[in-house]
Amino acid sequence: MVQFKNMCLLMLTLALVSLVFTGNACAKDMIFNGSIQEGDGYQINTIVIDVAEVFVSAESCVFKVYDEGELEHDKLINIDDTITFTAEGETIDVTLLSVSGGTLPQATVSITITDDDNIYLKQIVDGGHEKATFPGTPSLEITKEVSSYTVDQGEVVTIKVTARNKGDGKATEVRFSDPKPTGFILQEILLEETGQLTIDKYETRTIFLYKLQANEAGTFEFQPTRASYSNEADLDFPEAVSNIPVITVTDTGKNAKKVAELEFSTSIESSSVKRNDEVEVVINIKNQGDSSANGVVLNIHLPEEVEYKGSNSNIEIINGMPKAYLETFGLDQEKEIRFVIKPTELGTYTITTDYSYQYEDGVSPDRQEVTGEFTTSTIDVARGDLDSVIEQPWYVIAIPLLIIVAIGGWLFHRSRQYRF
Amino acid sequence: MLNILIVGNGQCGNRILDAINKEAFGGKSKFAKFYSQQKYKSKVETIAINTAINDLKELSSTKAKDRIHIPHLHGVGANRTLGKSVFEDNKSHIMRNIEERGNFDVGFVITSASGGTGSSFTPPLIKEIKEKHDFPVYAVVVLPFREEGTLYLQNAAFCLKEIRDSGVDGIILADNQFLKQIGGNVQSAYNTINDMIARRMLFLLDALDSEMMMVTDLGDFKTVMSGGAGLATIGFYEAEKGMNIKTTIQKALSPNGLLFSTDVYKEGSRAMVIIKGDKSYLSIDEISSEVEKLSSSVGHVFKGIIVRKGEAPQVLVVLTLEAAEELENLYSVAVDAIHQEREKKTRVEEQKEIDKAFSQIDGLEPDY
Repeated sequence: MVQFKNMCLLMLTLALVSLVFTGNACAKDMIFNGSIQEGDGYQINTIVIDVAEVFVSAESCVFKVYDEGELEHDKLINIDDTITFTAEGETIDVTLLSVSGGTLPQATVSITITDDDNIYLKQIVDGGHEKATFPGTPSLEITKEVSSYTVDQGEVVTIKVTARNKGDGKATEVRFSDPKPTGFILQEILLEETGQLTIDKYETRTIFLYKLQANEAGTFEFQPTRASYSNEADLDFPEAVSNIPVITVTDTGKNAKKVAELEFSTSIESSSVKRNDEVEVVINIKNQGDSSANGVVLNIHLPEEVEYKGSNSNIEIINGMPKAYLETFGLDQEKEIRFVIKPTELGTYTITTDYSYQYEDGVSPDRQEVTGEFTTSTIDVARGDLDSVIEQPWYVIAIPLLIIVAIGGWLFHRSRQYRF
Repeated sequence: MLNILIVGNGQCGNRILDAINKEAFGGKSKFAKFYSQQKYKSKVETIAINTAINDLKELSSTKAKDRIHIPHLHGVGANRTLGKSVFEDNKSHIMRNIEERGNFDVGFVITSASGGTGSSFTPPLIKEIKEKHDFPVYAVVVLPFREEGTLYLQNAAFCLKEIRDSGVDGIILADNQFLKQIGGNVQSAYNTINDMIARRMLFLLDALDSEMMMVTDLGDFKTVMSGGAGLATIGFYEAEKGMNIKTTIQKALSPNGLLFSTDVYKEGSRAMVIIKGDKSYLSIDEISSEVEKLSSSVGHVFKGIIVRKGEAPQVLVVLTLEAAEELENLYSVAVDAIHQEREKKTRVEEQKEIDKAFSQIDGLEPDY
């Protein structure tokens, strides 16, 4: 009974040891487990493991390991023996599992690697290393050239971006990005390679060729042109980045931005008026800038207690609001917009007008828009001439009215009497 | 209070009637009718009758209800025969209009002797009134300018005669020819004549119904008007500043004050002198002196004095005539005019030979 317990304990210990060793073996990635004929090889990236000779009777095999055609290892091993070497920074184990005869003898092998993340190519190569092909390593070098590094404002510079593949492999799936610099206006694109490109090894190609106009004065650091690419084995390579040109733009003043600067001023016929009197308001507009204004819109905001009575200028009432629209307003042009209002209640009022207009500054592609508002001086509204009458008792109004009506009636009656 | 009827016949009668109505408003302003009342002392009814509607329309101070339009084209064209026919056709309408206004104490019919409607309506109208009423009716007749034309002159001659034969109680003459001395243009001269007659008429109406210091009344007026040859005229004068009453009376009897040219002291038959004004001006000695002077020539003179405080002296003289040399002159001219018209008519009838020339193509049609 005791022996049986010791036996079970021993078996449990062996099982745990077996699990520990099994766990160590599983730390490597299996990349091949199969038969390879004599004279053929197995390629891992640039490494080719040739099965050089198979000795069936001796249950052994000669393996030769080449790295890009260069012999690195040459070893005869028996069944269950393993060749271990380092390549691509990883440890590769090649274990001979069995050999077999036939027209061509073959060896059954297993190949493991500590980490297969960097493996981009693994395959049996008929004819061994002599027949193996290698995808190569592309290396792109991007150059960004400018026609002049010091220009005047408004001057045009030509930008040329070229890419050279100085690696030994074809660059595939090449994509370029070329952000345009601030302070410049794109004038013309002479050449632009877009989409996915392929650049052969040692090839130099012009990718972008375009013209920029210096828009603002200052020193401008161009953003680099970038390219992502892969090799023929779809291995992505680090992004290629161009140089960063720096251009200094000097301000000559010749190409300075133009501005339409409308100056608004107001005047009121009288700042003190009586209720229900009509008052003329004048808006004077003058263009003091050096560019014409377009689409000048004036929205006149009248207080509720002030009625709009009319205008001899082109003011329209839209949604109850007086609006003036001037299609263009030239350099040094002056204009008066006159309109008449009638305050209906006592108080102090101002009239605010908001305005907007556009102009072309001669530099920017888009029109510049200007908005703002201005306000008149105050209008003091006092009691009207008739206010004191209206405030009188009814009979003060009624009696004279009755007298007037009576006189009118009498005159009418008399004229009827004498009209034949 | 007297009830007085004043009828204005024809354009001239209408205008004089309108001038009386305007004068009654007491102001010269054309707007006086709107703020003033007519200042008739008596109850006065005025009626303007005309066949020309435009003549009625131009009246300004006569009420519409007092204008009677007799529809006949636009007047009778100075044709008295036609005018009398039109009157006959419309006399019931005219008389009804007069009778609707009540009873009267005296009536005046104002007309031009020479025109169409007035000269032809007035004689039968007066006759109708006299036949149906017993109040006295006096005609105020305006004689034409002598150069106004033969038709007007013959109209005046026949009209005046017919009025005299109509039973009228007296004819007060106003002579345009005599009043020509006023001068000015035609329009202002007519207006002035109308105003002169209106002012005298209004003074007379005022005098007939006023309380007086020395009384003259309708009875006296009737007596005066019944004297002489049934013809009368009126003299009037308003004293200028500083003028005494004696001079004023003399001025009223002078050619400048009279409506008809006459020698007062030679042709006058009876007279009525009415003096109005502030008593300070009314010197009884001066008045008596002048009245006596007049009465020594014409016979009887009725004298009335109306005292009006603050007013300048005014004198109105109603004078009936025994003879009227100027009227004889008028008829002499009128007879010539009648002969001229007759000769003209004869010549026209003789020229009817021309009609024979035209009659040669009677019944024929042009052939093209």
